[in-house]
Amino acid sequence: MQDSGVPVNHEQFEQSAEAAFRLNVAGELQQVTTGFANLLRQTATALVGRHLEELLLAAAPETVRQQLNRAGAGAIVSFEAQVRSVSPPEHYNFTLLSLPGGLGLAGVAKRLVPVSAADALLLERERHLSIIFDNIADVTFVLRAETGSRFRFVFVNKAFEQTTGLPAMQVMGRLASEIIPEPALSEVLEYYKTALHTRQPVAWQETSDYPNGRKTGEVRVTPVVEADGTCCQLVGIVHDLTPQKEAEIRLQVSNERFHYALKATTDAIYDWNIAADTLYWGEGFEELFGHKLTENPTPFNIWANYVEPTEHDRVVAGLRHTAFATSNLFWQQEYRFSRADGSWAVVFDRGYILRDNQGRAIRMIGAMQDITARKEAEDQQRLLADKLGRQNADLQQFTYIVSHNLRAPLANALGYADLLSRVEKASPVFDESLRNLRTSLNLLDGVLTDINGILSIRDQQGSYRPEPVALAEVCRQALHSLAHQLQECGGELQYVIPEELRVPGSRAYFHSIFHNLISNAIKYRSDVRVLQISIEATGSSSGSVQIIVEDNGLGFDQKKIGGDIFQLYRRFHPDKPGRGIGLFLVKSHVESMHGRISVQSQLGVGTQFTLLF
Amino acid sequence: MKTYLIDDDTLSTYLTEQLLRAEGFSNTINTFDSAQQALQQLVEDKDKAAPQVVFLDLNMPAMNGWEFLDALAPYEGELLGHCHIYILTSSLALADLEKSKSYDLVSGLIHKPIDTEEIRAIQSQFEEKGATE
Repeated sequence: MQDSGVPVNHEQFEQSAEAAFRLNVAGELQQVTTGFANLLRQTATALVGRHLEELLLAAAPETVRQQLNRAGAGAIVSFEAQVRSVSPPEHYNFTLLSLPGGLGLAGVAKRLVPVSAADALLLERERHLSIIFDNIADVTFVLRAETGSRFRFVFVNKAFEQTTGLPAMQVMGRLASEIIPEPALSEVLEYYKTALHTRQPVAWQETSDYPNGRKTGEVRVTPVVEADGTCCQLVGIVHDLTPQKEAEIRLQVSNERFHYALKATTDAIYDWNIAADTLYWGEGFEELFGHKLTENPTPFNIWANYVEPTEHDRVVAGLRHTAFATSNLFWQQEYRFSRADGSWAVVFDRGYILRDNQGRAIRMIGAMQDITARKEAEDQQRLLADKLGRQNADLQQFTYIVSHNLRAPLANALGYADLLSRVEKASPVFDESLRNLRTSLNLLDGVLTDINGILSIRDQQGSYRPEPVALAEVCRQALHSLAHQLQECGGELQYVIPEELRVPGSRAYFHSIFHNLISNAIKYRSDVRVLQISIEATGSSSGSVQIIVEDNGLGFDQKKIGGDIFQLYRRFHPDKPGRGIGLFLVKSHVESMHGRISVQSQLGVGTQFTLLF
Repeated sequence: MKTYLIDDDTLSTYLTEQLLRAEGFSNTINTFDSAQQALQQLVEDKDKAAPQVVFLDLNMPAMNGWEFLDALAPYEGELLGHCHIYILTSSLALADLEKSKSYDLVSGLIHKPIDTEEIRAIQSQFEEKGATE
């Protein structure tokens, strides 16, 4: 209720074209004229209850609130202010006076009309500036320094609004402490103060959380120094670094990820700069191969020279061909690569070739993978498979041979037993048949003895312990037991074996090897020339030993017989006695001592066996 | 009945020969310890005095039984129906029996030692044949 002591014609007042208003003691609008509402471009009802300070921005040096306080204290105040909700800003002169009886304040607004052409020009310039500010992409603001180190926003541009998400209307007239969140605030206020006191521009990087998200900007505030040397305003420009900052963070995360991926991989990763012909290496290179890089990137040849020389053409020339003479995007190769300790690593290398618009190779990124262990495992697997295959073939042959050679004397024995029952006892056929029965049974026994001997060699293969065997001595012993036979046929034997030469193996096996080879040479000698046997053993610096046993005997047709020579019960000289087990035993003995045996022979010239341990 | 015995095992040859004689199988038995020699003789004899029965061993050095049969292929037309080859082997391998069936000249496969029944069976075949001719 209004005090009846004050005659107020409400209706008349509210319809007035004059811009006038009434405030309560708190400074909130109680009543406004149509003129005032028009001035603020708002309806009268929307304005009632609003605080004057929300609507106006007073020009320095005092704020709307300060003016209100003075008016409230009984003074008639008059000040310039601009209306916040209107853009470009319009300036008015406000006059406030206290109404008696605690009824609040009354006020009128008068538009400041430019009084001169200079003023009009000034206003026009201000309007232009405002347009420019609003169209600047960088956040721009003006702060006014107040007592107590307080800073109030008097102007912010559209970019400010767009970047922070705070409406300009809410910012203008408010203190920096109400707008900028901690923890940036304390720091920012210090920068403002520094700029104000030093009269020098200050720049810094600031990150704060606003309604539009976390924003990072490069802030620069410049103090506005008046003609009289005072300074109470700061102009700030913020260059929004948020997109760069985010990209930087993404890059950093991805770099970190790449860095850990590099650590996790045991491969040697490289980047071939084709124009400079240099290779930049990841840390895997030194780790994998032990080479210390004195520089990085290195010349291309550092890599090329470590490639195994016989593979150089295929690998190095092949890579250059792929890069320069094809349009391939990938290159891959398996090759041997020298380690620092001189050993060879088996490497699987795969690279991606970057090409320009014309298809020219500019870079290749690749990785060398050390597959030595895998390769060795594969080789071992293959060796094992070979060994199994060989054993299986042996077994099949063995079965076949046993079925033939065991069954042949057995069949004869059965036949003679049958025949003996049907011929007269006192006949020559009976006597002959009885003799043949005995011979057949002896042959049968011989085969069983052979099988037993062979199986025992095979059984011992896994368990036998090699001992250093003095070859010369064993050869002499084997020769001693055959000396009589050799002498009888008039043959000659020469052996050249260094006395100190020793081979890890079994003494008994070497005895058997020499015995069988020499007795074979005697057995299959040629009748047209004097038998000459030569045995020669030589040791190499690498520890391997080669034994060559050579004769000038009958020889055999290697094309026809080939590898069959070492097979069990294979006989090639029907006219000579023999069971066909000697060479089979020789080979078994050699192989059980991890050696190799090969044969060269020519019909009518002679035979040469080469043993390698 | 003219008979060839081809086998490198002399014990086996002697045995078979005596068993054949004991059964009165043949009056002329030629024994060969080498397939090559037998082949040479057979080619010579094929027009006037080819053997009616050949007992052929398989496992022989230099030329084995199969190689002997392969070497006979050019004369197959002339020999077929006159000369009957029986493989006589100590091997029990089934593969040999299968393989023998691919040769038209081969009339059968006998496992050593040949017994009385087998000799008589061959004899009876020839008697039937003789009766029908």
